[in-house]
Amino acid sequence: MEVPELWVGFVGAGRMAGGLVRGLLQAGKVPASNILASAPSDKNLGAWRELGCRTTHCNLEVVHRSTLVFLATKPHILPGVLEEIRPAVGSHHIVVSLVAGVTIQTLQRLLPPWTKVLRIMPNLPCVVQAGAMVFSRGNNAGDEEATLLKSLLSSCGLCEEVPESYIDIHTGLSGSGVAYVYLFAEALAEGAVKMGMPGALASRIAAQTLLGAAKMLLETGEHPAKLRGDVCTPGGTTIYALHQLEKGALRATVMNAVEAATNRACDMAKD
Amino acid sequence: MSVGFIGAGQLAFALARGFTAAGILAAHKITASSPDTDLPTVSGLRKMGVNFTVSNKDTVKNSDVLFLAVKPPIIPFILDEVGPDIEARHIVVSCAAGVTISSIEKKLSTFCPTPKVIRCMTNTPVVVREGATVYATGTHADVEDGKLLEQLMASVGFCTEVEEDLIDAVTGLSGSGPAYAFTALDALADGGVKMGLPRRLAVRLGAQALLGAAKMLLESEQHPGQLKDNVCSPGGATIHALHFLESGGFRSLLINAVEASCIRTRELQHLADQEKISPAAIKKTLLDKVKLESPSLSVASVNKVSLFTNKSKKN
Repeated sequence: MEVPELWVGFVGAGRMAGGLVRGLLQAGKVPASNILASAPSDKNLGAWRELGCRTTHCNLEVVHRSTLVFLATKPHILPGVLEEIRPAVGSHHIVVSLVAGVTIQTLQRLLPPWTKVLRIMPNLPCVVQAGAMVFSRGNNAGDEEATLLKSLLSSCGLCEEVPESYIDIHTGLSGSGVAYVYLFAEALAEGAVKMGMPGALASRIAAQTLLGAAKMLLETGEHPAKLRGDVCTPGGTTIYALHQLEKGALRATVMNAVEAATNRACDMAKD
Repeated sequence: MSVGFIGAGQLAFALARGFTAAGILAAHKITASSPDTDLPTVSGLRKMGVNFTVSNKDTVKNSDVLFLAVKPPIIPFILDEVGPDIEARHIVVSCAAGVTISSIEKKLSTFCPTPKVIRCMTNTPVVVREGATVYATGTHADVEDGKLLEQLMASVGFCTEVEEDLIDAVTGLSGSGPAYAFTALDALADGGVKMGLPRRLAVRLGAQALLGAAKMLLESEQHPGQLKDNVCSPGGATIHALHFLESGGFRSLLINAVEASCIRTRELQHLADQEKISPAAIKKTLLDKVKLESPSLSVASVNKVSLFTNKSKKN
């Protein structure tokens, strides 16, 4: 989808925003010179300029000069920022919030009633274009806005529209989920170290194993249980190891983790 | 074709019932023997029209396919007893867990140079013709002999040939399996009762649920994991319940069970190989032999018969 005259702005220029902008640029649909980012200090903005983007310390400038505005501040900063930019927000704007725990209802309340609002929950691997993102639309956002967002962000990874109630679940599954994977990778490597492999090598192999397994899952479309069975030769090493995992009730523990993170996201949104 | 069972317990009963219900064998073509006529299964076999005798030798004489349906420690004694009557035409099928083909062939070879031996592992649901059976053929059993057994056992459920070294694993899985299922069903029924169902209904529904699930799996190309997912609507009742199962280590318990049964089978085989039979088993067998040879003796006087006297009576 060609959007030659799309002007994109970022209010907040932290890691999440940085990941998204890299994806945008890779998609090749928006030239860097059409992208403007604001941040209170210069700390992060240098990296943006290196990409060819324009930078400022003025949030209002971002709103004035952009059609598509990403809100990427920390949650406690957002209300103040919205108050600041509200006068400049028009019906031509598309406002996409990356801010964790801030609902569409809240966003719509703090912005003019005609505003097209969308809420997106990305995850960390967006920075390497292997992210998992879900987004929901507010009252005034239509198919056109949803399609635009999806086409721009698909180069960052998986990007799906969902009902807003799934966003907290996504946090538990994938937002926080990335940390569960890091924990698992660390433990795998530690097991290998215990058995005599050097740590650095073990870590790289652990990561590649996770990457490869995930790739097979995504590309074959097979049920994970089937793929697991395919690896388990009768009486072989894998089934012995899996038995250990089952003894440790790994599955239930992981389910507990997703549940805990999701519930926490819900609770935090209420604060 | 006539079939004989040495032993008239649960296994003989289940197989006889299954074969007759399947119509593959008439009851009068089946003989079963046991020294213990008080077994509840004995009257069941009689009612079916099976020829019951206390003489193992009679069973052997009247059978083409001879099932050894006694407990594993008893097998060696049975083989010693009926060995002289085994002919080349007989197909000897052992259903005893952990008893190897080679141990049976070794015992029989003193009497018959090329005994046809097949080792089989089945399970109790043969009684309702939903058994799970595997078999391995011995040195002198031909392909046709295996196929004959397969035909018999296929009439009462699933039957396939395997390498002998897998039979212990099969014991752990489908041999013991019905017991795991009965335990699960009992507990499921308890759950139903706890939540307000009458016991009979709870048992009926639990059993039907497992039966239906098993049938779906057997008739489906899909992985059980996929079939499970198909039942779990997001945020629904089933996924909540499954979480409990996972928390309790349900899967690992089942893996442990299959493993334990298999390992125990191998242990028993080891003990048998070293001929470490339990004294209780020995006592009963000798006692039974006495009863066999002197049916008119009362039980009280049997205890006083010395072993030496017993041996001298043997012809």
